Amino acid sequence: MVTERVEVRTQTVRETAAPSRSALPPWLIWGGMIGLVQIFAIATVQPLGVSTAYPQLVGWLVDKIVPGFAESQPYLQKIGAKIGWEVMLIIGLALGAFLSSVLPGGRSTPACDLPNVYRSAWGRGLAAFVGGFLILFGARLAGGCTSGHMLSGIAQLALSGFLFGAAAFATGVLTASLLLKRRTG
Amino acid sequence: METTQILGLITGLMFGFALHRARFSRCGLVMRGLAFRDFTMLKVMLTAIAVGMVGAAALATFAPEYAHLKVKSLYVWGVLVGGLIFGVGMAIAGYCPGTALIGLGGGVRDGLLAVLGGLLGAFAFILAFPALEPVLMKPLDLGKLTLHETLGLPYLPTALVIAALLGGIVVWLNRLEVKARAQ
Repeated sequence: MVTERVEVRTQTVRETAAPSRSALPPWLIWGGMIGLVQIFAIATVQPLGVSTAYPQLVGWLVDKIVPGFAESQPYLQKIGAKIGWEVMLIIGLALGAFLSSVLPGGRSTPACDLPNVYRSAWGRGLAAFVGGFLILFGARLAGGCTSGHMLSGIAQLALSGFLFGAAAFATGVLTASLLLKRRTG
Repeated sequence: METTQILGLITGLMFGFALHRARFSRCGLVMRGLAFRDFTMLKVMLTAIAVGMVGAAALATFAPEYAHLKVKSLYVWGVLVGGLIFGVGMAIAGYCPGTALIGLGGGVRDGLLAVLGGLLGAFAFILAFPALEPVLMKPLDLGKLTLHETLGLPYLPTALVIAALLGGIVVWLNRLEVKARAQ
């Protein structure tokens, strides 16, 4: 109920304001909206955090196939191999993106809007998979990702969030600059 | 479903809708953002952080019973090495753990592949945890430190100043971009 009301309201703001020159830019509307979602999350359960849900979901799934797996792994004992707030959050994330893409104002997304960087669809797919592996391994080692350490950590003035942000941007900027140079060079 | 599960789903729906409208289903947004060729990613993130920063401090000050804050521990080696690995992955995938799901929900093949890679990475970490914990996560754990407590400053005013600073950076980035587009 809350979701629909908020979404409808912001959408009307965007649509009615779109043609005028003084309209609020999308990055400001949606960046501000994410901040409001953060306040909602803090007021109800806990700050936004996405990456914990991945090992919880994996642990829950593997435990269904290999009974006793979750109990045998110290990390799963620590975070719990359960379908709780975190896993429901990531299901909501995918569903929310789906709703945005089919509702008025949503646009379809190209497979990758920088196809030349990887030269082939196969190479790009492999990069997405390997990159996905690294972000989750790194996030779990660090104890959080862009949402847990940056959106939530830095918003709470946590020193761990500032360190994670600096480290991630250091290698992120270097890697992305090299990749984009390869495309143009 | 339990209340916390329903709240997680509602929060996720709003978060996912906003991230998709901010164009995070596109891998190029993050890649160009990290290469400083497009400031959209930074502007969205810094705006969201600034709003959340003021909201968190305001809740903690005026309605502490609703301030479910969760400051993460600063275990220097794990946070640093994890962050360095994370940055490389984010640049080559063009996604972070949250936006990979935005790609998936938005019907992007690369989003699905990044989520599958992420599940495998999470599985690898579960298995590696007993070996990594004593080396990178237990030593040099400084605890749940915050900027204001470390410096002995009051929470809300510090949050307002840092949020204003982030707002200033956003305005500056926006001016740079508008100028570059005009040329």
